[in-house]
Amino acid sequence: MRTIYLTIILLLSLAFGANAQRAKSVILIYLDGGPSQTDTFDPKPNAGRNYTGSYNKVCKTNVEGIEIGQKLPLLAGIADKYSLVRSLTHGSNAHETGHYAMITGDTSGGAVVYPSFGAVISYKMKDSYKGILPSYISVTSANSRFNEGGFLGNEYKSFDTGGRPESAAYEVEGVVNKYIDQERMNKRMALLQKFETEPMAKRELDSLRAINMEFIWGESRELFNLANEPDSVRQRYGKSRIGQSCLVARKLVEAGVPFVNVRTTGWDTHKKHFQKMNSMLTNLDKALSALLIDLDERGLLDSTIVLCGGEFGRTPKVLWEAPWNGGRAHFGRVFSYLVAGGGFQGGKVVGKSDKTGENVAERPVQPCDLIGTVYLLMGIDPYGTLPHVSEGDLPILPSLLNNKKSNGLLYEIIDVKKPSYEK
Amino acid sequence: MRKSLILIVCMALSAAQSVASNQCRDEVFLRRVYLTVTGALPNSQECVSFLDNESPKRREALVNRLIQSELGLKYMQMHWGDILRIKSEFPSNLWPNGVQAYNRWIYEQLLHNVPYDEMVRKLLISEGSNFRAPAANFYRGFQSRTPQNYYANINLLFLGNRNCTDNGYLCFSQMKFKSTKEWKEEIIYLDIHKELPWHKVVLEDGTQLELRRDTDWREEYVNWLTSKSNRRFAEVMVNRMWYWVFGKGLVHEPDDWREDNKPSNPEKLKELTDFFVQHNYDLRALLKKILLSEEFNSPMAPEGGYIPQRLPAEVIVDALASATGIWSRYSSRVPEPFTFYPPATRATHLGDATVSSSELELFGKVSRDVSLESQRNNSITSRQLLYLMNSSALEKRIRRSPVLKRICEQHSDVLNVANAITLRVLSRRVTPNEVRLYKEYMQENGLTVQELAFDIMWIQINSNEFLYNH
Repeated sequence: MRTIYLTIILLLSLAFGANAQRAKSVILIYLDGGPSQTDTFDPKPNAGRNYTGSYNKVCKTNVEGIEIGQKLPLLAGIADKYSLVRSLTHGSNAHETGHYAMITGDTSGGAVVYPSFGAVISYKMKDSYKGILPSYISVTSANSRFNEGGFLGNEYKSFDTGGRPESAAYEVEGVVNKYIDQERMNKRMALLQKFETEPMAKRELDSLRAINMEFIWGESRELFNLANEPDSVRQRYGKSRIGQSCLVARKLVEAGVPFVNVRTTGWDTHKKHFQKMNSMLTNLDKALSALLIDLDERGLLDSTIVLCGGEFGRTPKVLWEAPWNGGRAHFGRVFSYLVAGGGFQGGKVVGKSDKTGENVAERPVQPCDLIGTVYLLMGIDPYGTLPHVSEGDLPILPSLLNNKKSNGLLYEIIDVKKPSYEK
Repeated sequence: MRKSLILIVCMALSAAQSVASNQCRDEVFLRRVYLTVTGALPNSQECVSFLDNESPKRREALVNRLIQSELGLKYMQMHWGDILRIKSEFPSNLWPNGVQAYNRWIYEQLLHNVPYDEMVRKLLISEGSNFRAPAANFYRGFQSRTPQNYYANINLLFLGNRNCTDNGYLCFSQMKFKSTKEWKEEIIYLDIHKELPWHKVVLEDGTQLELRRDTDWREEYVNWLTSKSNRRFAEVMVNRMWYWVFGKGLVHEPDDWREDNKPSNPEKLKELTDFFVQHNYDLRALLKKILLSEEFNSPMAPEGGYIPQRLPAEVIVDALASATGIWSRYSSRVPEPFTFYPPATRATHLGDATVSSSELELFGKVSRDVSLESQRNNSITSRQLLYLMNSSALEKRIRRSPVLKRICEQHSDVLNVANAITLRVLSRRVTPNEVRLYKEYMQENGLTVQELAFDIMWIQINSNEFLYNH
């Protein structure tokens, strides 16, 4: 009887699971420090200079009725390829709790510290993804304000590439080492073999070293070599850190990597906000639009989720007073994310902020709602579990089970129908 | 005269033979005890002087010195910091001022070898400002400030009980917090006029505690916890110390004591617990006893001997720094203004899990999110080896190493260069076979001694002999 029951569950999950998975990869473009939502995806041109600061114009997009910030003209031309969530909220104005909310989908304060959603996806795909490249890669480093791997452990932490993709030589840590060529490495490995006479842990280490030799000298080496890309492509992404990082992300996704975290810093603009935004938004506009177009042209956008946002937004009201002199502070009450590809529809807007952008006006979206939708599109049950070493199986997104901490997955912009058992 | 000469000869002979065949070699013991007690490698001079020491009491003398040394105390402080979750930021949120005060307090307990029961008492009945009364950080470092949450953690830490079902938490229900005008300062105080809970406190072993009005109820609990009749209290600490030394508890996991989780060696546990209680919970005496035990002095063996352990993240990172002579710089990003640690600060001495580096993260530094010992993950991953094999950052440190530079300035022959590197990295002398290998390698590849030195260091830091305590 039990076997029959289990078989039915298995068949059901095969039938629905296969349908539910649209996406194979996620690219998170993480604007660390917290970007201003009103200067990017949720402009308020009529709120007055105390709110708009230097940016009182907008870009009309190619989708009727959607406007975005005046510094994002290239993205405005392709609004049919992405949707905007304008009502994200977690209420936290501190970096560490904001990061924790946006990177894990959990709310802080509980007894258990959750892993990042990149680590969760990496864990859930450990049997299906067999590539030589790590399954969770950060270009160029992960956010280290809390434990990325959480209770899942070291194996699921991100592989940080290090190096500077925008420079002439992108030295990926552990892969590209300008001092040592293949011949010298082979010689060292041979000497190490002769040197190690103790059997202690030798078999285990030898097999890991063999995997590494394939990783270092095999295809991945060429993959990280941006000089292989036509200059026109590199120019299109922009020669900035974020531009070339997005290009690396495209190449990694093309090679099958399930989760790529492009993390850029400098968005914590308490002071000189508008001066900094002038160049940073131009770089973002170039990089993100080039990435979306490139993925689309290569037929990868359907299977690649692209997310862009930070740990929170910034105060819609400009702080003109000293010492800020035209800055924006942390703001977790309402902020925006861009979502595209992998089953997310384009040309839609979810939620609304009020006239000045200081409160959610319609359809609040909590971090777990966004991350849960990403799980769903990746074929991972957002109501499923994760194994904890001492606590047993824990819900993958505990907040999703709590009416006060969740406002529902983003069914309005995905092609998956809301099951009848969800509220 | 003649008699004394004979005596000297006899003593020398007995010293040479004093290492019984069932004991590990001196060079193995030296590295093992250094890494276990201090988390650091011995320097080359210490290696040579210990290896040349013929006193029959040399191991005991070394243990005595190390367990009182600053390095030894600071490493012990790291173990305590791990289970007490000492961290500036999320999720403990003690903030740098609290972290410093708390660490200092623990260091002082260890320095004065405060008995374990007294140390636990001070932690559990703490009150006052988190900046001025350091032990109060014990309570401040909880996100969820409920008596149930404190009590669950106290059970986990001091009784190895993960699933406490009694109502002892009522003893911790008088605590209140109030903030001061200083940023992030909070004062823990007791509302001792609180109404008595209507139900009685009955602990799992049947003990009934009487809570009286206008008293600190925590004291009732602590009296029960630390009393000599509560054997479990002593057993859990004995087992934890064993775990800190061997990487595996007599009861394993060390914080999971259950009826159906029996000790692997009950006689050993009993013997050590008796010793610990008789010596009034003397932590240093306990550590010494374990370090001089047959088990710790055994040769490495998968069974019935010392089981090799991968070095903890902080220890590997420090060992790489001391091998190359190039240390990482650490800084804290919270809160502004940022804190910069002095040059050559050891990773084992950071005292704050919020302070980290990609190297530490890679090898699995403890994040101090929870009090479980299993948080420390010493598994070896391909990425860790990738870093050791082919990271340009590490290769750069080898090539610019002031240690190798000095060695190559002092010596020009393979034997002495290799010996100096081996002492520095592996805490032992080079073997004739290794010298032969290096010479062949140098000739085959037409290398200079300098280039050979780079490759010798590379080979040694990539070897399992380096990565493991054995």
